[in-house]
Amino acid sequence: MSVSSEGGRARFWALLAVLVLVFAATVAACGGDDEGDGEEAAPTDTGAESDGEATGEAIKIGVFANNEGAFAPFEGQTWGGAMLPLINRGATPVSGNSVDGVEGATIAGHPIEIVYGGSDSTPDKAVEEARRLVEQEQVDILVGPLSGSEGIAVAEYSKEQPGVTFVNGISGAQDTTLKVQSPNFFRFHNDGTQWTAGLGNYAYNELGWRNVVTIGDDYDFPYSQIAGFVAEFCSIGGNVTERLWPPLGEEDYSSYITQIPEDVDGFFMGVGGTGTVAFVKQYGQLRGNLADKIMGGIFMTDPVILEELGDQVVGVVTAGMTAADSQEPAYLEYTSQIESAYPDLAGTGSSVFFYGYYTAMEAIAQALEQVEGDLSDDHAAFREALAGLELEAPLGPIRLDENRQAIMDNFLQQIVADETGDGVPDVKTLETIPEVDQTFAGAFSPDTPSPDRENPACEEGTPPPWTDQGGGR
Amino acid sequence: MSEATAGVADLDWRSRLAALPPGALALRIAVAVVVGFVAVWVSYKAYGDPRQFVIVGLNGLTLAGLYFVVASGFTLIFGLMRVVNMAHGSLYMLAGFFALELQTKLTGGEATSAFGSSEAGLGDWIIPLVVACLAVGVIGLVMQQVFLRWNQGQDLRQALITIAISIIIADQTLAHFGGIAESLAAPDSFPESVHLPFSDLTYPFFRIFVLLVAIALGLCLWAMIQRTRFGMIVRAGVDDRQMVSALGINIQLVFAAAFFLGATLAGLGGVLGGTMISVDKANDTQYLLISLIVVIIGGMGSLAGAAIGALALGLVDSFGDVYLPAGYTNYSILLIFGLLVLVLAVRPLGLFGRPA
Amino acid sequence: MNRSALTPERALWWGPALVLTLILVIAPLLFSDFYLSQVLTKALWLGIAAASLIFLAAYVGMVSLGQVALYGIAGFTMANLVEADGGSPIAWNPWLATLVGILAAVGAGLFFGAIASRSYGIYFLMITLAVAVLTYYFFGQVTQFSGFGGVNSVERPAIVSNPVTDPVNLFYIALLTSAAVYAFVRYLARTPFGLALQGVRDDPSRMRALGYNVPLLRMLAFGLGALIAAFAGIISVWWNTRISPGSIDLTRTIDVLVIAVIGGLFRLEGAWVGAFAFAALDNWTRGLDVVGQRFNTVIGVIFLVIVLLSPGGLMGIWQSITDFLGRRLAGKPPARPSAGARASDSPQPS
Repeated sequence: MSVSSEGGRARFWALLAVLVLVFAATVAACGGDDEGDGEEAAPTDTGAESDGEATGEAIKIGVFANNEGAFAPFEGQTWGGAMLPLINRGATPVSGNSVDGVEGATIAGHPIEIVYGGSDSTPDKAVEEARRLVEQEQVDILVGPLSGSEGIAVAEYSKEQPGVTFVNGISGAQDTTLKVQSPNFFRFHNDGTQWTAGLGNYAYNELGWRNVVTIGDDYDFPYSQIAGFVAEFCSIGGNVTERLWPPLGEEDYSSYITQIPEDVDGFFMGVGGTGTVAFVKQYGQLRGNLADKIMGGIFMTDPVILEELGDQVVGVVTAGMTAADSQEPAYLEYTSQIESAYPDLAGTGSSVFFYGYYTAMEAIAQALEQVEGDLSDDHAAFREALAGLELEAPLGPIRLDENRQAIMDNFLQQIVADETGDGVPDVKTLETIPEVDQTFAGAFSPDTPSPDRENPACEEGTPPPWTDQGGGR
Repeated sequence: MSEATAGVADLDWRSRLAALPPGALALRIAVAVVVGFVAVWVSYKAYGDPRQFVIVGLNGLTLAGLYFVVASGFTLIFGLMRVVNMAHGSLYMLAGFFALELQTKLTGGEATSAFGSSEAGLGDWIIPLVVACLAVGVIGLVMQQVFLRWNQGQDLRQALITIAISIIIADQTLAHFGGIAESLAAPDSFPESVHLPFSDLTYPFFRIFVLLVAIALGLCLWAMIQRTRFGMIVRAGVDDRQMVSALGINIQLVFAAAFFLGATLAGLGGVLGGTMISVDKANDTQYLLISLIVVIIGGMGSLAGAAIGALALGLVDSFGDVYLPAGYTNYSILLIFGLLVLVLAVRPLGLFGRPA
Repeated sequence: MNRSALTPERALWWGPALVLTLILVIAPLLFSDFYLSQVLTKALWLGIAAASLIFLAAYVGMVSLGQVALYGIAGFTMANLVEADGGSPIAWNPWLATLVGILAAVGAGLFFGAIASRSYGIYFLMITLAVAVLTYYFFGQVTQFSGFGGVNSVERPAIVSNPVTDPVNLFYIALLTSAAVYAFVRYLARTPFGLALQGVRDDPSRMRALGYNVPLLRMLAFGLGALIAAFAGIISVWWNTRISPGSIDLTRTIDVLVIAVIGGLFRLEGAWVGAFAFAALDNWTRGLDVVGQRFNTVIGVIFLVIVLLSPGGLMGIWQSITDFLGRRLAGKPPARPSAGARASDSPQPS
């Protein structure tokens, strides 16, 4: 490792000059996009157009999703969701890119300052980022994180910071609220388990499935999803014969597909967001049409992923907390708000990433309005307002249970052939399952084992109320 | 150095340890036992479900084909220049993204549907393939000319430079290529799957195509190295670089050509892999690891070694996921580790490796 | 060299070193809890990890990329053995678990060392990198020990207070460990064993001819490197209260390499200098709009510049400066050209 010669010296400096130039150009190019991040928002003299005078003390809200890792592509959607409630209250987007934040946000007369954060779907990074936002940036309220394992870790951390209120972004692991039970951590959307409500019933009673295999990536979020399906399907008499767990990050699923016995009635898929496309393609090549064999996969109805999947998944039944085909006026208004605020994000309103962060910020805004921005006494009044909030969200009401976990409607859906003419299959809601709670009629409680590779065991039990056997219909 | 000499006396027990019999026989017996056990286990499982054995075997072979394409470029560069290109996986990943971007433009975004309803014509796949390979080849060439050329012989420093470049590429990829993991659409003139003879099994056509490309590429590279002047210089360079330059051959030109070729092969791998599996931001780590393992097993700089290494890794990779006892398939990574240990224990320089 | 004479060069080395040490000792009085924990403590344990790399590189000539995997093995073993959320259900005494974790890392180090010790230079680098990435995948895939989500809420010994609400204890633990590691390596370098290692670094063939068992020496050195890395692993778990595969992925492996190179791959002090530079830069750029989101590009460019221009890293640059100033102060004519570059040429830290 020595410098070869004195002649090399001149080259060094030439190189350094080139590097500095390249670097400067890169930074400048990025700077063009990033100019004026949310941090510039809301000095006291801006904004305050529609919501009266911004006279109160500024409230700092940290928002963080994933800007690295497998979920980085969804950062725009998450930020769009988080910014929309502020835009609806008079703030203006800094640019067409939602990640740049908003200017002039006020809630109940208080200027709102948004602080940017970003993680990479690992719990380490999520906590590091949460700590930076809470301890260094001194935010009052933190919105996030995005991914399942992150959520558990941040909820644990929230216990160390009783002076800050945490509202979950879209991380969907069951334990985050059911087990951790942090008094200042709120989640205004259903968890991954709740999202499967109705599927087990449909598989057993409509499709007549009895023996089923599950396949899902080997980490917290698919554990939660598959747990929901297993609990419901087995409680009414179904049998899960095998659970396959490809490691997270696997993209060559072919070896796992060959392990699905050819004689099962069907299989439940809990493969995560980025693996879904590869899985569906490889299944098609190895086994042919999968639409009548497969169920589940919250991500299949995600607008971005559905576009990739195309016609192959027509007929697949899935479930989730959003319904892209909803004709409710509130939902139509919500989608048009997205379109005018962020044209690039039009049509992503039914993405769970958008909706999760939206409900989080909307809940914060409504609770702050109720208490007129009063965050005194460790947010006591604010938290009481949050806990008691009846959030009228675009897709139905949301309220919280005693673990500060959402109870809301779930939608059983089928992917159907394209009728809107955009070349992407449509999603048709088959059934709305009202007020799904976290316990699935007692299948899950703080004392039951956390969902994992083997748990919950497949055994008959009390059917959840929305199943035929539970008296649902 | 007087202290050091004093140390020699204290180290007597160590030299005695050195004189112990090397235990080579015991080692060979252990290796034979392990290999025998694996063979019995695989036969037993194959007998139980021959259909699965065929499919999993094909998965392994086709993966091996892909691994060989990627690793051949890595081993070529190392063999000639002693440069461990830690950005090899990054080049693989970049090629995938370039091709994906171009294909989306060419087909107006219609072709990326995952299913067989591919609307990509042959040109919509070939053009991105060629452009991405060349682009990545040029990036490799620039890397070599700007950063590596004047550090010739300082292998550690060169490795560090390529690591730095891989960090930058990874971060810039994140910044510029959005979207979820997608795959390139194969040309619509390719069938989606083929029926395997003597059975009712179907198998993805493109995976078999990748295997065929890998075999053809292996033969071409072999012929090039054995039969052409360029190959002669490369072979001579692998054995003795000083001598080659002393003979008045413009070794810098050969180096540049080899680096371009090596990077292009990473690009070819990226496009094939991007069509066969998917294009993803985690590809760089994945395929760097694969290149490393293949050449550690096969021996640095050896084409035949790369082929054997790729075959071993591909088969272990795909059988490990399926043939381990149920509930323990996630330990399959240990098999790859075991393969590495096994080879290094017997041959520290890899199966076909020669001392530098 | 006369050890006691205070030449201007020596003063320029020891003066800043003393001031910095003093600042560190009273750091809890000077910095906020957040900065103390998230920058200084983090830098200290990252520095220990980098020191294990520098120890191997500078004294044995083995540039290893496996140090993060080894600290991961220590951390994961410890985290699995105590009461924690995730991983195995065992709940041992934290001190016992810590000890077993360190032993596990040393054992793994000796085992890896046995495999890799017959490989040199760049081969060695490649093998350790492969082992590192395999270890990452192992913990990512084997949910019985970790899985993607890792092991959370890891129990600590009572003396390690809550790192969020009361970071001072952990800071001093990391500081004392750093000092101990530094002193130990400097001491070791003068023992016959350490001298033999340096002999292996400079000329393995000659050492073999002198009757040394070179692979054994390298294996033992790798085991020692693992011991140092294990301390970093244990402290990082206490600091994080968790460990997950993300804590030992390729990015972290490269981070530790970057730290070692920025600090100076062939000077032990460089480990901590590089780590402080890295942690401070990380923290500072995160608050900036433009570069905050592209931190890795910034780090990559800095790394590239350092490798290209000053292979001796920051320590090499500082050495150039002190040599220059020292000569000026002593009124001597410039003697050696480009000492910074040569620092790496002839790695002689002792």
